[in-house]
Amino acid sequence: MNKLIRPMQLLALQRPLLANTQLKALAPALTQSGDTGDKCGLHTSANGALCAKWNKHNYGPKKWLEYNKTVHPPQEKDEEPRNAYICHMRSNIKYSPDKMWYIAAFVRGMSVDEALKQLDFVLKKGATDVKETILEAQQMAQERHNVEYKSNLWIAESFVGKGRVFKGMRRHARGRFGRVEYKHCHYFVRLEEGTPPEHYYQPEPQTPQQQYEHWLEQMRSRKIINSL
Amino acid sequence: MEKVVSSGLKLMQMQMPKAASAGLLQWNALQMQQVRHRQTKHWKPEFKRLRKQKFIKIELPNFREKQEDISKEEMRSRMKERGVLPPRPWMERPFHISCTGGIFEAYVPPEGDGKKSFISTTGAKQKLEFLEKKSKSMMAVRKIRSYEESFNTDEFEEHAQELYISAHTLMAAKEKYKIREFVSERCYPEMMHNVKDKTIRWRFLQSIEPPRVVHARCTEVITKENQFAQVTVRFHTQQMLAIYDRFGRLMHGSEILTKDVLEYVVFEKHISNEYGKWRLHDKIIPDWLPAKQPAPITYRVIEEPVEEVAKELEAGEQTKQLESGSEQQKEQLAAATSAQALPETSSKPTLAI
Repeated sequence: MNKLIRPMQLLALQRPLLANTQLKALAPALTQSGDTGDKCGLHTSANGALCAKWNKHNYGPKKWLEYNKTVHPPQEKDEEPRNAYICHMRSNIKYSPDKMWYIAAFVRGMSVDEALKQLDFVLKKGATDVKETILEAQQMAQERHNVEYKSNLWIAESFVGKGRVFKGMRRHARGRFGRVEYKHCHYFVRLEEGTPPEHYYQPEPQTPQQQYEHWLEQMRSRKIINSL
Repeated sequence: MEKVVSSGLKLMQMQMPKAASAGLLQWNALQMQQVRHRQTKHWKPEFKRLRKQKFIKIELPNFREKQEDISKEEMRSRMKERGVLPPRPWMERPFHISCTGGIFEAYVPPEGDGKKSFISTTGAKQKLEFLEKKSKSMMAVRKIRSYEESFNTDEFEEHAQELYISAHTLMAAKEKYKIREFVSERCYPEMMHNVKDKTIRWRFLQSIEPPRVVHARCTEVITKENQFAQVTVRFHTQQMLAIYDRFGRLMHGSEILTKDVLEYVVFEKHISNEYGKWRLHDKIIPDWLPAKQPAPITYRVIEEPVEEVAKELEAGEQTKQLESGSEQQKEQLAAATSAQALPETSSKPTLAI
C-alpha cells in the first residue's frame, strides 16, 4: 500500500507545476495577437517559453516561404517559358505528423483539381488542413504569382514537418506513470504550373524495344573474369 | 516506461451492410449507423470516468487561433487571468512634413496638348486660362527665387530630366535606399509597390522635345515660414519598358519597342529647408485620358457585386491593376503604350500621360 501512496504524493506535488504550464499554455494565443496586428498591443514579452518572441518554434518554419521571393532572370525569346511555382505551408496543426504523412504522400503528384476532389473523401482530420492549404496556395498563385489558369497547377512537393510537442502525463498501474505527447505538425506544399507527370511514383513503363535495349546494354557491359 | 497516446480520433467505422439478408430500407438505416469495433476498452460505462482520470489534463495552446476570432470579453478575461493591464491608448499620430500629401492647384493639361486652334472658343478659353495661370506661376517662381537664388527655369528643366531618369532607373534597379534622394515620401510607395518580385527593364532613349516648365506653385504648411514649392515639367520622350514576372516571363511591354511618352511630372522642394532638394513628387493624369486597355490575361468576371467587379478580378489581372494603379509612372508608360502605339495613323492627339 505504501508503495502506491508514495508516487501518488509525488504526482500531487507535481500538480502545481502542471497548473503553471496551463497558465503558460495561454500565452501563444495572446502573443500571436501582439505579433500579427498589434491590435490589442499586449505586453507579453515576459511570458515564458511560449512567447513567440522568445521561442522561434512558435512561429513555425520560415525558410519554406522564402522560396517565393526568388526572382529568376528574364528569359530569351527562344527559351521555353519557365513554369511558375508557389510554396505555401500551414504551421502547427494539431495533428500527428505521422498520420499527416499519409495524406501528404497521397496528394503528391496529383493535379490540384484532382487532389481537392480526392481529399473530400479522405476521412482523416488532417485532410481538411491539407485541402485548405492547397486552396490558399492556389489562390496566391493566381493573385500574386502571375498564374493565369488556376486549374493548371499540380502538387510538386507535399510533405510534413514536426511542430511543437507538448508533454503530458498519465497514470499507470502500480504507481508508475507514462508520458503523453501532444503533437503538432507543419504541412508544406509546392504547386507548380503545368500538368502533373504521368508516372510520379513508379518509373515509366518501358516498351519491349526499350526493355530489349536495356538488356543488351546490360549484357554487353558484363565483366568477364580472366578474359582479355 | 513511456507510452504515447493519441487523443481524439476514435476508431469509428460504418457497419458494412449485410446485403443478402436485409431489405433495401434496412440497408439504408444500417449504413447510417455508426458502430465501434474496438474491443480494447471495458464495456462498463462506469469505468469510462476512471479511465479519463488516468490522464492529467493540460490545456494546449491553440496555435491556429486568429486575432480576429477572439472576442473582446474573451480577451479581457484572459488578461485578467494573467494580470496584464490593458494597453494605453495611443492618441498621437506621427506624421512627416518633408513633403506635402499631394499636388496643390494641379496643372490641367490641355486636351490634345494645346493643339486646339487659337481661333476656336475652347482654344481661346484655354489660352486665357493659361495666361491667368502663367501670372500665378511667375509669382511662384519669384517666391522660389527668394529662397533659392540660383533658381532658373531653363537650368531646372535639365536638372528635372536628370532627376526623372535617375528616379526611374533606380526604381528598375530596386534600389530602395538610393531612390529616396530622388523621390518624395509621398511618391515612394507608388513607385516601389509591387516591384519586389518583378524584373523591370527601363531605358530612357531620347527626349523628342526639350523638357519645359509649365506650372509652378508655392504653398505654406502649418506655419507661414514653412514653404513648399511644386514645379510641373512637361516631358516628351522616347522610352523602352519591359516588365518580367518572378519567373522571367514577359508580363508587359517589350525590350525592342520604343514608345513616345508625354508626361507632366510634378517636382517638389521644401524651400524653407536649407538642405531641401528637388524631388519627383507626382504625375498628373488628366480626366480626359482614354481608359486603359485591359491586361492580356484570362480572368473570370464575378458578376454579383457590381462595384466589386474590379476587385474580384482574378489573379494576374489584379496584380496588373494593382501594379499599374499604384505605380504611377508605370501606368503612365502603360497608357503611353496604348495611346501611342500608332501615333502617325491615329487622328487623336499623341498625348499620353
